[in-house]
Parts: sequence; C-alpha cells; structure tokens
Amino acid sequence: MSGVIAEIEACIPALRRYAAALLRDRQEVDDLVHDCLVRALDQLHTWRQDSNLRAWLFSILHNLFVSRLRKNKVRGTPEPLDNLPDGVAGMPPRQDLHMESRDLMRALDALPVEQRTVLLLVALEDLSYADAARVTGVPIGTVMSRLSRAREKLRESVDGAGKARPVLRRVM
Amino acid sequence: MSGTQPIREEDLHAYVDGQLEPARRPAVEDYLAATPAAAAKVAAYAAQRNALHAAFDARAAEPLPPELDLSRLLETRLARRRAPWRLAAASAAFLLIGAAAGWALRGATLVANEAPPMARFAQQALATHAVYAVDRRHPVEVQAAEREHLVRWLSNRLDRDASPPDLSSIGYHLIGGRLLATERGGPAALFMYENEAHVRLSVILRPMAPALHAPRTEIARGETHLCGWIDNGLGYAVVAAMPDAEIDRASDLIRKERDRAG
Repeated sequence: MSGVIAEIEACIPALRRYAAALLRDRQEVDDLVHDCLVRALDQLHTWRQDSNLRAWLFSILHNLFVSRLRKNKVRGTPEPLDNLPDGVAGMPPRQDLHMESRDLMRALDALPVEQRTVLLLVALEDLSYADAARVTGVPIGTVMSRLSRAREKLRESVDGAGKARPVLRRVM
Repeated sequence: MSGTQPIREEDLHAYVDGQLEPARRPAVEDYLAATPAAAAKVAAYAAQRNALHAAFDARAAEPLPPELDLSRLLETRLARRRAPWRLAAASAAFLLIGAAAGWALRGATLVANEAPPMARFAQQALATHAVYAVDRRHPVEVQAAEREHLVRWLSNRLDRDASPPDLSSIGYHLIGGRLLATERGGPAALFMYENEAHVRLSVILRPMAPALHAPRTEIARGETHLCGWIDNGLGYAVVAAMPDAEIDRASDLIRKERDRAG
C-alpha cells in the first residue's frame, strides 16, 4: 500500500490530458478529474494491489464521464460540423500543420463516444488493449473494432480536409 | 514467410501502438514493405498518435489547480470525518503513507480542527515517528546519557512529570528524547527507544484538555503500529514498526509504571 498516494498523484496529469481530449471546457475537465480523485480516495480499499493502478483510475474517470453524458450535464457531442463558426470552417488554411490539427480535433469530436474513448485510451494514454477493454467494460475484440473504426474515420476526415474540401472522396 | 500466421488488421494496430509481440514484428514489417496500402494506413495511424499528443500533452504539463491537489483533497476528507476516531486516524495514517513515500505534504493546515483529540494526537504521533525514527544520527535532541537533564527539561515544558518509561524488560533501551510542537501550539514530548535489532520505538506524551480520557486504541499503517490512549488529560502513544503484540507489551508496561507512580 505504501506510496499509493504518490502513485495516484503521478497519474493526475494523464487523467487530465484524457479528460481534456474528451471535453473541451477547461472547468469541466478539471471538475471531472476532481470527481475522479475523490472517488478514487473513497474507493481505494476496492483497488486490488496487484492490479494496474493507472488503469483503475482511468476506469473511474471513464465511468464518471459516461454517467455525465447520460445525465446530459456536459456537451459530449460537440456541435455538428456545419454549425461551426465561419472562423473555423470558412477561413483559408494558414499553415498545413495548424489546419491538420484542427481537422483532427473536428474529426475526433465527430466520433461516436465509444470509439473516441477507446482511441484516446490507446493512442494518447498508451493503455494496453486489455486495460482499455477493462476501462470501457467491453471485450477486447470490441476494443479492436472500435479502435479500427475510429482510426479509419479520422484518416478519412484528415485526408479529405487536406485536399480541397468539397471534393468527393474516391472509394477504393 | 511460410508458416507464419497471416497479418491481420489487429497486427497493424499493435504495430503502431507498440503492443506487437516482438516475435511477430519482422513478419509485419515484411508485409508493410510489400503492401503500400497497409503501410499508408500504419503511417496515418502513427501520425494520428503524434497529432493527439501535440494537441493534448500541454494539458498534462500544466500546473495543477488547487482542486486537484491531492493533499488538499485528503485534508478535506479528514475534516469531513468527525465521527469515529479510528476512521479519522486511518485517514491520518493514510496521509502518512504518502509522507513516508517521499510525497510532500503541502497542505499548511493538515489537521482539521474538528477532528477528535485522539485522532489529532495519533496523527501527530505517527508523523513524529515517521520523521525521527528513520534519522540514524539525530533521532533525539538530548541523549539518554543526560537523562536527568532530559527529564527536568521536558517536565518543565510539559508542566508535569515527563520521565521516560522503562522498557528495558522487553528489550528496548532509551536513546533519548526531544520536545515536540503540536498543531495547537502546545508542547509534547518524544522518547525514542531502540532494541538489539535496531528497531526504534517512539513514546509520545502530549498534554491535552484537562480531565480528558480516551480508551486504548490501536491503528496500523503498513508495518507501523500505534497504540494510543488519553489518561486524565495526558495523551500516550506508542509507535513502532512492530507487530501489535509488541506494541501492546510496551503499552502495558507504561500503564503499569504510571499506575504505580500515580
């Protein structure tokens, strides 16, 4: 048990990063992480010491996020693309990198939440597929298919946006 | 590549995510070299990983706001738990887990004033032992060799008899003692003992509210055990990284000695 508090503390930056990738509002992000830490301290006795503390914390955060979505307390689904202000969609591309990053964000927000969470847990937070399955409460095969779909959608969006926007995409 | 399993979609993801079994890596790399469409896929996925990090890593590097400060969160929890002192003491011990692990306790007001006296005392005793017992060179301020001076000094400051209990019958000899400060600005005393195996045991005396009593209570935090009680306004705590039975024997001795003296 020794050092578990220090271990939790070491995970806070990653929890915050994950929450920031799920939500956009800064206060909502820190509120979510705060609730996660409070719950983790309350439930520390339920954590099995031989299991991965980091994955356990992400499970708590994930469950809180999902239940918030259910309660509609956060805007889990961002505005549809065509509602974006002109400043975003209508502006001429300044820098490729900048543009790509913005397109990626839009594409990320457009993903169904169950694909978005899996993608972020794996690609951003480096959870193993098994841990991502535990965190999201689905079989590992489901994790793999969600990951695959998320990555393909992102790829299409970014590819599509990189070329002249309204052009039809070729189907392979 | 004969004899190897065909490359599947999962293998490409595992390759990008660094989760591929090392043995499978060459087969996947051969496949990528021979299959431009798959290589493009893998490159795109890797670029996504980089873009996600570029977009969100800054957030992880930001300083934490106060509401995400774990020491504060622990403190708030402690304050909320006014009920059974054991629980409060468990939280107190819990704080010390981090302290022992080198985690800095940054909250200035660590102890909630609402916490029961015994909980506050136990927290102080655990903290005292955690800090001084590990100090090989300066665990005490006045050595046992100057016992008379030590007793006079601490008795003066505590305004009552503050003699170190004799624990030699259970193998602990006195190293010495020091004056302690309580979170309420009052004095307390530490006597440090050591056995042949160099295991250290702390006895802490703390004047509390007059006529205050609390029954003997034990808490454990990892290997460290504490037995504490309050007898007529004077708190006693025995702390050591020893089994409960050992702490009990020391506590029994101290009580007997006090009973004889009183």
